[in-house]
Amino acid sequence: MPAGTDLNYSWAQALNDLGQISPIVALVGFFLLAIVTDLVLPRARRGDAVAMVAVVGFAYSMGTAGYRWVYATGDYAYHRFATGDSFALFFEVLFASLGIMTIALSHTYLKRRGLLESEFHILVMAAVIGMMVLASSTSLVTVFLGLELLSISLYIMCGYARTDFRSQEAAAKYLLVGGFASAFVLYGMALIYGGAGTTVIPDIAQRLGASEGMNPLILLGILLMGVGFAFKVSAAPFHMWTPDVYQGAPIPVTAFMSVGTKAAAFAMIVRVFAGGLPHLAPEWQTLLAFVAATSMVVGNLMAITQTSLKRLLAYSGVAQAGYVLIGVVAGGQTGLEAVLYYLFVYMFMNFGAFAVLTLLSRPEADADSFSDLEGLARRNWPLAVGMTVFMLSLAGFPPSVGFFGKLFLFTAGVGAGYTWLVVLAVLMSVVSVFYYVRVLIPVWSPSLRVEGVPASVSSKFAILLSGVASVGLGIYPTTLLLAGQLGASPINLP
Amino acid sequence: MTLTTLWLIPLIGGTLVAFLPPRLAKWMGALVAAVALLIAGFVAFNFAPDYHSYQFTEKVAWIPQFSIFYRLGIDGISLWLLILNAFLTLIAVLATPVTNRTAGFVGLMLAMSAGLAGVFMATDLVLFYVFWEAMLIPAYFLLWLHGEGSRPGYAALKFVLYTLAGSLLMLVGVIGEYIVTGHQTFDLAQLAKLAPSPSAQFALFFVFALAFAIKTPLFPFHSWLPDAYNAAPIPMLVTFAGVMGKAGAYGFLRIAVPLFPQPVDWWDWRWVLPVLAVAAIIYGALMALAQSDMKMLVAYSSVSHMGFIVLGIFAFNIQGQQGAVIQMVNHGIIIAALFLIVGWIADRVGTRDRSAMAGLALRMPVMAGVFAVVTFAALGLPGLNSFVGEFMTLLGAWERAPLLAAFGAIGLVLAPVYMLRLFQGAMQGLPAGPVPRSDIYAGQLTVLAPLIALMFAIGLDPNVLTNLMTSIGQTGLYR
Repeated sequence: MPAGTDLNYSWAQALNDLGQISPIVALVGFFLLAIVTDLVLPRARRGDAVAMVAVVGFAYSMGTAGYRWVYATGDYAYHRFATGDSFALFFEVLFASLGIMTIALSHTYLKRRGLLESEFHILVMAAVIGMMVLASSTSLVTVFLGLELLSISLYIMCGYARTDFRSQEAAAKYLLVGGFASAFVLYGMALIYGGAGTTVIPDIAQRLGASEGMNPLILLGILLMGVGFAFKVSAAPFHMWTPDVYQGAPIPVTAFMSVGTKAAAFAMIVRVFAGGLPHLAPEWQTLLAFVAATSMVVGNLMAITQTSLKRLLAYSGVAQAGYVLIGVVAGGQTGLEAVLYYLFVYMFMNFGAFAVLTLLSRPEADADSFSDLEGLARRNWPLAVGMTVFMLSLAGFPPSVGFFGKLFLFTAGVGAGYTWLVVLAVLMSVVSVFYYVRVLIPVWSPSLRVEGVPASVSSKFAILLSGVASVGLGIYPTTLLLAGQLGASPINLP
Repeated sequence: MTLTTLWLIPLIGGTLVAFLPPRLAKWMGALVAAVALLIAGFVAFNFAPDYHSYQFTEKVAWIPQFSIFYRLGIDGISLWLLILNAFLTLIAVLATPVTNRTAGFVGLMLAMSAGLAGVFMATDLVLFYVFWEAMLIPAYFLLWLHGEGSRPGYAALKFVLYTLAGSLLMLVGVIGEYIVTGHQTFDLAQLAKLAPSPSAQFALFFVFALAFAIKTPLFPFHSWLPDAYNAAPIPMLVTFAGVMGKAGAYGFLRIAVPLFPQPVDWWDWRWVLPVLAVAAIIYGALMALAQSDMKMLVAYSSVSHMGFIVLGIFAFNIQGQQGAVIQMVNHGIIIAALFLIVGWIADRVGTRDRSAMAGLALRMPVMAGVFAVVTFAALGLPGLNSFVGEFMTLLGAWERAPLLAAFGAIGLVLAPVYMLRLFQGAMQGLPAGPVPRSDIYAGQLTVLAPLIALMFAIGLDPNVLTNLMTSIGQTGLYR
C-alpha cells in the first residue's frame, strides 16, 4: 500500500509512531511546560525555574533516546515521514547534551548582561526540537519543517541582546541569508520531488536509478540543495555570513549554533544525499568534495589574520566543516561513522572554547579580543588549561579527540580514494595550528592583569565536562566510535 | 606493565611536580626521573639478547574497529634509546637552576620525556604517531615559555609548524600504509612482513622519511634548528638535542627501513638518503666552523653528527646500523655534556661569543679539564665513545659504497678543526676578555661526572652496547 492511503490509522499504530519519536515528544512536552512555568511564576523566579525545566527536559529526552537505543528497534513512523533509527537517536543524544550545556553556560551570562532569561531557555528548547526533527525525518517535508523550526529560533536568539547594535545586525544578516538558503533548499527539494514523484527519502532512493545522472531536473535539484546545505554547515564559498553572525550574536548563542546547527545540517546532508540519492553519489560527491576543499583552504587562511576571537573561531568552524565533509564525501560505513564521531566530539571542543570566552565576558560586552585572554593562566588556571585543551584539540594534537576525529575522517577519505582531499586537509591543518596556538599566547604569557574570573557552578560544570570529554573520548574513543558505527547504519541507507 | 610505567610515571609525576614550590619541584622531579631510570635499568638487566622479537610486550585492544592496539615492546635498538632518554632526563632536571619558574619547567621536561619514551616503546604505528606528536606540546611550551633570546615564541612556533608539516603528512602515510597492506594491522612487526608494491613503498617512504628528516634534522630540512637551539634553555637542550633528534633517526630505523625495503619508482630512495646524510655531515661541519657563538657552534656540530647516524642507518648492513645506534647513544651523551659546559662558561663569562674570551683555563682549571675530555670525545678520539660509533657507521657506508664513506670522512677531518678551535680559543693562550665569576661548581661537576664516565666506559668497551643489540623485533634490519 503506498504511503498516505492508509485510512485505518489505529491506536496501536499511533502509539508506535509516537514511540519512534519519543525523545522529541518528551522535549515538546517540557517545552510547553516551560512556557506555562514562565507565565505563572512571579518574574523574579521565572528564569531559574524555566532553566530547571529545560535541563530536566533535555535530560529526560536524552534518557528516552538512550533507553530506545538499548531496548527498542528503530522503524519508520508517520507513513515513513520520520524514524527512530539509531542515526536519529545518536543525534538526539548529541543535541540534548548540547542543550544542557548551553543552559548551564548561559544561565549566569544572561544575568550578568541583564538579558531576559526564561525566553532564552525556551528558545534553546525550540531550536533543539528543530534539530532533533531534522535528524529523525525521512521525508523532504519534515526535513524542511525541522530546518525552519531550528532557523527561526536561532534568528531570534542571534538578536537576543536587544540593546547591542552588533547583535541586531547579526540577527538581520542571519535572517536574510538563512531565508535565502532555505529558499535554495526548498527549490532543490521541489525539483527532486518533480523528478521522483515523492518526498519520502527512502522511496526517492528506490525510484531514482543511476540513469538519472543525466536528468537536468535532478541535477539542478542536487545543486540547489547542496548550496543550501553548504550555507547551513557554513562551508565555503557559502560561509560569508558566518563570521559576522558569530561575532554579533551573544556568545552562548554562538557556542550553541556553531555546534548544533552544524551537526543538524550534517545530519540533514547525510539523510538526504546518502539516504535519498545513493545512486547519484558521483554527482553530489564531486560537489561536496569541491565545497570541502574550498572550506578548508578559505577557513584556515582567513582565520590567520583575524583579530576577533569570535571571528577566528567562526573561520575555524568553516575549516572544520571542510574536514567533516571529507567523511561525507567518502561515504559508506567508515565515512559516516567518522562523521558521527567527529560531530559528537566537535561539540565538546568547540563549545568549550566558546564557553571560556563566555565566562570572560563583561557586563557591557562579550569577550572577543586577544587581550581579553591576557594572563588567564594566573587569573584562573583551570580555565587556562581548559582553553589549551580545546585549542590543541581543535588543532588536532593527540591524544585529544580532535586528533582521533581527524584520523577516522582521513582514513575514510584515503580508503575511498580521496587522497588529494586528505593531503590538502593535512596541509591546511598545519596552517590551523598557527592560529589556534596564537590564541594560547595571551593565555600563558606573563601579564600584569590579576582580576579573577567569576564562574558559576553550572558553567564550571559545562567547561569541565567539555574538557574531560575532549581528552577522555580521545584516550578511549572505542565506545563512542562504536555508537557512531551503529548510528551510521540508519534503516533507510542502502 | 613495566613499559607502561616508563611513560606514565614521568607524565603523572611531571603533572604533579608542576604544582610544587621551585626547590621541592626540582628535587621531586629528579626523584621521578630517577625512578624512571631505575625501571629502565631493571628492564635492561632482564633483557634477553637472544630473543628475536619484541620483549616486555604489552597489548591492549584500543580501537578495535581500526585494528589499533596499545602495543608496547622493546628490542635491542629501542632499549638503549629508552635508557638514554631516562638518563638524560635525570641529568637535565639536576642541571636545572632553581628560579621561581622551575616547577613548570621540570613538569614540562618530564612530560616531554614521557612522550619520547612512548615513541621508543610503541610497536603500533598509530600509537607511535600519538606519542610522536604529543611530545610536541610540552616541547612547544618549553621553548616558548622558558626560552631565552629575543623571540622564543617565534622559534617555538617555527619548530612546531616545521615538525608538524612533516608529521601530519606522515599521518597520511600511516593511513596509506594501513590501506595498501589490506586494512589488517598497525603492528610494526607484522607490517614489516607486508611490504606493498615498490611504487606504493616509494610514496609512503617519502612521507615517512620527510617527517623523520625534519625531526633529525637532516640537511636541507634543518632550518628550524638554529632558531630552536638558540632559544632553548641549556637544561632543555640536554634532552631536546640529546634525545629528541634521535627520535627522527629512530623512526628511520624502526619504520622507514623495515617497512619499505624497496622504495623504488621514479628513483631509489635508498640512495637519496645516504647522500643527504653525507651532505649534512659536511654542511654541519662547515657551518660549525663559521660560528662565533659557542652554543650555535655546538648546535651545528650536532647536525654534522646526526648525519653520521643517518648514513649508518642507510648503509643497510649490520655494521652501519649497529654503529648508528651506538652513535645515537654517544651523541646524546656528548651533546648533552657540550651544551652544559658551553652554557656554564657563557653564564660565568657573560657572553656566548667565543672570540671575546681567551685563556680561561688559568682562571677555571677544572672546567678546562672536563671541557678538554668532552672536546676530545666529540671529535672522535680513539678510546672515547664517539670513535666507535663513527668508525662503525663509516665502515658500513664503505661496504655500501666507498664514495659515501670517503665523503663522510670529511666530517671526521673537520670535527677536530672546529672543536679544537673552540677549546683552544676559549681556554688556552693568555687570559683576555671578561673574567669568569668562578670555576665549575661541585654540584655541576657531579652532574657532569656520569656523562664523562660513560664516555670512557663506552669508548673502552662498546660491546656492552652491541651485545644486547642482537635482539631485533622486526625483520628487515641488519641485512
